[in-house]
Amino acid sequence: MNVSLQKSTKMLEQKLKDIWNNSSQSRQISIETKKLTEELNTKINSIQKKIRSRDIREISASIIGILLFGYLLFEIPFPITKVACGVAIVWFVFIIGKFRKSKLQNTKTDFSLTVAEQLNNQKTMMLQQSGLLDSSLYWYAIPPFLMNFIFILGLENPIDYNWTNSIAESLLPLTSNSKIITLIGLALFYAFTFWVNKRALDKDLKPTIESIEKMQQQIKNE
Amino acid sequence: MPKQKKDKYFEEILERNKHKIFRICNIYAIPPIEAQDLFQEVVYQIWKSLDTFKSNSSIDTWIYKISINVCLRSKMKLDKNYSKTDRLESIHFTPIEEEIDISEQKKFKYLKECISTLNETDTSLTVLYLDDLSYKEIAGITGLSENHIAVKMKRIRKKLFECITPKIN
Repeated sequence: MNVSLQKSTKMLEQKLKDIWNNSSQSRQISIETKKLTEELNTKINSIQKKIRSRDIREISASIIGILLFGYLLFEIPFPITKVACGVAIVWFVFIIGKFRKSKLQNTKTDFSLTVAEQLNNQKTMMLQQSGLLDSSLYWYAIPPFLMNFIFILGLENPIDYNWTNSIAESLLPLTSNSKIITLIGLALFYAFTFWVNKRALDKDLKPTIESIEKMQQQIKNE
Repeated sequence: MPKQKKDKYFEEILERNKHKIFRICNIYAIPPIEAQDLFQEVVYQIWKSLDTFKSNSSIDTWIYKISINVCLRSKMKLDKNYSKTDRLESIHFTPIEEEIDISEQKKFKYLKECISTLNETDTSLTVLYLDDLSYKEIAGITGLSENHIAVKMKRIRKKLFECITPKIN
């Protein structure tokens, strides 16, 4: 009885393997290798180009910030505002470092790892990204808002310092009303930035981490 | 690896493994992602990583790892760029019209239905098992122990057989 059951199981097993192997014979896969390698090289180059331009975009925003606040640091005579400019430059340098570190950690996708290792790797990367977004309030929203707050608070009457710079004077909020309006605008802007990061975390990263954890659990279960 | 040698090697391994890769992609492809999209992503990853392949492991095992990892990644929705507009023009999928065995196609449809009832990681074990790989080879691809695979496969086989037997008989 047992022998016949084993035999029929073996037969079914072989039948399934035959069905499986024949399934790919229903279509012909033809590959023009020379053209393919050209297309793949083009794809690699285009992806690298996109990554490079994204890096340049991110870094150039910080560099513009450094140059702008550097100029204001030397130009503006108000002491509190000068301190805010110095802190802003340090913050922009910190942001460049933070983005670069996160990028280095996230470009290590190795598809030739075992499935278990790959899942671990993906989870670590996702957790790092989620940590970055989750804490964005404390490093990407509150610090620049506080810097801007101090910067605006420190703006005094230019006449008291015998300072004249028509461009800076026309751009800076020197009156109480314009200071309040600018601060409200900045608060809304940073609140929006925080909301965008939080949304990306809840909508994209958290479900991905959950699905990785689900797969890890499946792989552990017997 | 010199360019000419790399091209030749790539052509060889692709020719030898294309049907195997397609079978795996076909199981994991769920609309809007099509098997062709996953297939070309696997081909792309093979090309990209070929220089880093260490010859102390089998190239076939390496290809299985890339195929399974790419397909599982599509399930995690980590890649949202499987777009038809990005299809490579150098890969052609042509249905073979002559001598189509309808019953074989139906049987495969049933097999696919039964595999779809399994979870993602059991699916990967099943496709490797159906490709006639030993538990040792499956262990090398998945990172699980042979014993763990044996226990899992016993359960998966039972589930698969219960599902498929009434359909194909």
